[in-house]
Amino acid sequence: MFKRNVIAVLLAASLPLAAHAADSYTIDPPHTFPRFMISHLGFSTMEGRFDKTSGKITLDRAAKTGSVDIAIEAASVSTGFVKRDDHLKSTDFFSAVEFPTITYKSNSVKFKGDAPASIEGNLTLLGVTKPVTLTIDAFNCGADPMDPMKKKQKCGAAASAQFKRSDFGMKTFLPGIGDDIKLVFEVEAFKD
Amino acid sequence: MHELLNNPAVQGGLAPFIAALIVAELFQRMRLSGLAIIAGFAVTVYLASDFSIEPLTASRKIVLLGLLSAGLALPLMLLNPRWLRPLLAVAGGGAAVWVMLRILQQQEMMHMLLWGAGCALYVGWLVFWFDGLNDASVRAGSAGMALGLGGGTAALFGASALLGQFGLALGAAAGAFLLIQMLTNSPLPCGRSYTLPLSFIAGLTGCLAVLTAELPWYVLPVLAVIPVAAKIPLPAKQALWIQSLLLSVVTLACAAGAVYLTWRVTGAPPL
Repeated sequence: MFKRNVIAVLLAASLPLAAHAADSYTIDPPHTFPRFMISHLGFSTMEGRFDKTSGKITLDRAAKTGSVDIAIEAASVSTGFVKRDDHLKSTDFFSAVEFPTITYKSNSVKFKGDAPASIEGNLTLLGVTKPVTLTIDAFNCGADPMDPMKKKQKCGAAASAQFKRSDFGMKTFLPGIGDDIKLVFEVEAFKD
Repeated sequence: MHELLNNPAVQGGLAPFIAALIVAELFQRMRLSGLAIIAGFAVTVYLASDFSIEPLTASRKIVLLGLLSAGLALPLMLLNPRWLRPLLAVAGGGAAVWVMLRILQQQEMMHMLLWGAGCALYVGWLVFWFDGLNDASVRAGSAGMALGLGGGTAALFGASALLGQFGLALGAAAGAFLLIQMLTNSPLPCGRSYTLPLSFIAGLTGCLAVLTAELPWYVLPVLAVIPVAAKIPLPAKQALWIQSLLLSVVTLACAAGAVYLTWRVTGAPPL
């Protein structure tokens, strides 16, 4: 009986430890840019990015689990041409006034060995939520070399995904402006 | 053929024009030629967008209200109590607030009140004045053409192709409605099936272009002058094509003013 109680107490005590095993990271906005590529009339591939992204990531390498919660400011879309940016912000595309935030949320981070390999999550764009899987092409963690004390831990990753904009109700100028969107997500995040 | 139907000029100009010509002619005997407006608009929605209502965005609310107003106009054509015209104007104002609600909720209180009241006033105004033209088919045709073309071109310059196409579709459909009258020298039956969807869609499109694109707000009062300008006195004995021409010159001048004001701010459209 005493032995069973001790085991129960130890198990109960270990629960908070397990909960704390996941590392929490906050996205570093100046080094985080979701970029997108889209066919322009079949002649070329145009590229754009969002300049304002924020969010949190948690990773538990031991349990091989994690979560992602990212918010992208739709009005921060930038293609290097102001008039096109204005057009992209309008109701024709991102409708940035009506839907100011694009979100990506996941509680399903798949690991390959010690590193995350893919994220199965939900992208919400124009008020429509659809599953989108991000493939993690590169993942690195370590002490931030810019921190003189070398105490700040940072992780960086490159992820990519592909989806159809029409799935989210964005249909303007189809098929001239391509339906397939390639998303490349370069992200850096500081350990909390 | 598929390529042709994907051309934005066909979607927002030629296709609604042809659809409106056919409907205005086909429904003339039933005194429902005014349905030409919603027929032209529906063709553009079908070609350039879709009829789905999920998610119910502001532009989809416009499509929904446009179709509903055309349906509602049919029984309303049989009624003519004095209170109906102001009631329709109030309904137009309410519709404007409902369409813009998600956008307004994200503004600061002062902006929310200003934009909400401004949009309600603009749409209500258009509904009120266009309803006064529902028994004057040549005037309604000229005013509808000018409001559609002016609002559509201004929205296009203001960086919204879809809203631009919505407006241009109305202009093309109203142009077809007017052309038949000019060619046959006889008025078509107009009624609320023409004026109600036209004023709802044009008003809501203009407001949405101001709130979500680059259309300057002061373009809306210029466009609002169009249905009032279409009431200028005309010599009654003149042929219909001359009346149409005179009214079109006056109303299109207002539309041109609106486009010019937009162009001064935005320059050429970003296409």
